[in-house]
Amino acid sequence: MTEKKQKYIFESWLHQYQTLLFKVVRAYAFTAMDQDDLFQEITVQVWSSIPGFRQDAAVTTWLYRISLNTAIKWVRKERKYNQAETLGPIDLVLTESAAQVDDRLAWLYEEIYRMDEIDRSITLLLLDNFSYKEMASVLGISESNVGVKINRIKKQLISKSTKTQHHGI
Amino acid sequence: MEFEDMKKIWDSQNSQPLYAIDEQGLHNRILSKKRLASKITKISELMGIIAYIVTGCFIFGVTLYKQNAGLSSYKQNGSLFMYILAVWLFASALYIVKIRILRIRGSHRFDRSMNGDLGHAISVAMHQVQLSLIMRWNMLPIGLLTALSISETGKSPWFTAGILVFFASAAYFSGWEHGIYKKRKLELEKLQNKLANS
Repeated sequence: MTEKKQKYIFESWLHQYQTLLFKVVRAYAFTAMDQDDLFQEITVQVWSSIPGFRQDAAVTTWLYRISLNTAIKWVRKERKYNQAETLGPIDLVLTESAAQVDDRLAWLYEEIYRMDEIDRSITLLLLDNFSYKEMASVLGISESNVGVKINRIKKQLISKSTKTQHHGI
Repeated sequence: MEFEDMKKIWDSQNSQPLYAIDEQGLHNRILSKKRLASKITKISELMGIIAYIVTGCFIFGVTLYKQNAGLSSYKQNGSLFMYILAVWLFASALYIVKIRILRIRGSHRFDRSMNGDLGHAISVAMHQVQLSLIMRWNMLPIGLLTALSISETGKSPWFTAGILVFFASAAYFSGWEHGIYKKRKLELEKLQNKLANS
């Protein structure tokens, strides 16, 4: 594959599916610098994965597979950026949108961020309407195992939202 | 809140992206990160092999030259230990090449699922654990052979003891590095178990 073609595919994926990548970034990284770092890491992996894409899976499944695997590896890295440690302004490729984020969406992301890396992946796929079969293929586990995990996650999220509402948040 | 409501809230971000991307900046970073990553991997993998081969060649060449030119103060055993040391270093380099080839071949066994990716990461971590263990214990025979050949040249026993202490401490401290790789491997295995079990 020529670099020109690879760049063309990459740019079209980035335009069409950027929200998917943003969701993974937001769910796995907390500070703006970490989010930027993870976004770059994911895009490097997406770029490198293009020649291996065989179109036997949907692009969204492929992108989730690449970005979740990258995010899990990224979380395992020893050091993360701490905003307080930075001495000066750093050029970020990702800037947070000026639009007001829905409080309930912010709450949802907070709850996802509190989960472990595996449950975070399953929750993202679940919220984005992936079927059990697709989830099993992304995660490399059986559909029944996916089902058990999903039931637990759903129960956990519903119970937390009830508690939050009880506290008037 | 019901789960369906959460889904609706989640979908709201599809029409209103959370971030904006600096595309030119991103493209430049991708290219530089890609170049850097492949460079680091190549350098770190080849450095150990090259170090063993170069040191082995150097020891072999110098011993041979000194012996032929009659410049050496080595006794027969001293030269023999130096030759054994050179052969040991070549053998170590070959062994690292072998496990590197096995690792690269093995990397095609894993699928692109999260489980497959974790399996691959565990296999790489296992390779690192194995390599750091070899490097650690290899210091003892190398140190012993170096000390034996030095002692044959008539150097003070304190100097020989110093050499032995140096190699023993290097082997001891490299245990820390080995511990880090081992811990990383255990963490990955824990994660894979978590994925596999409900």
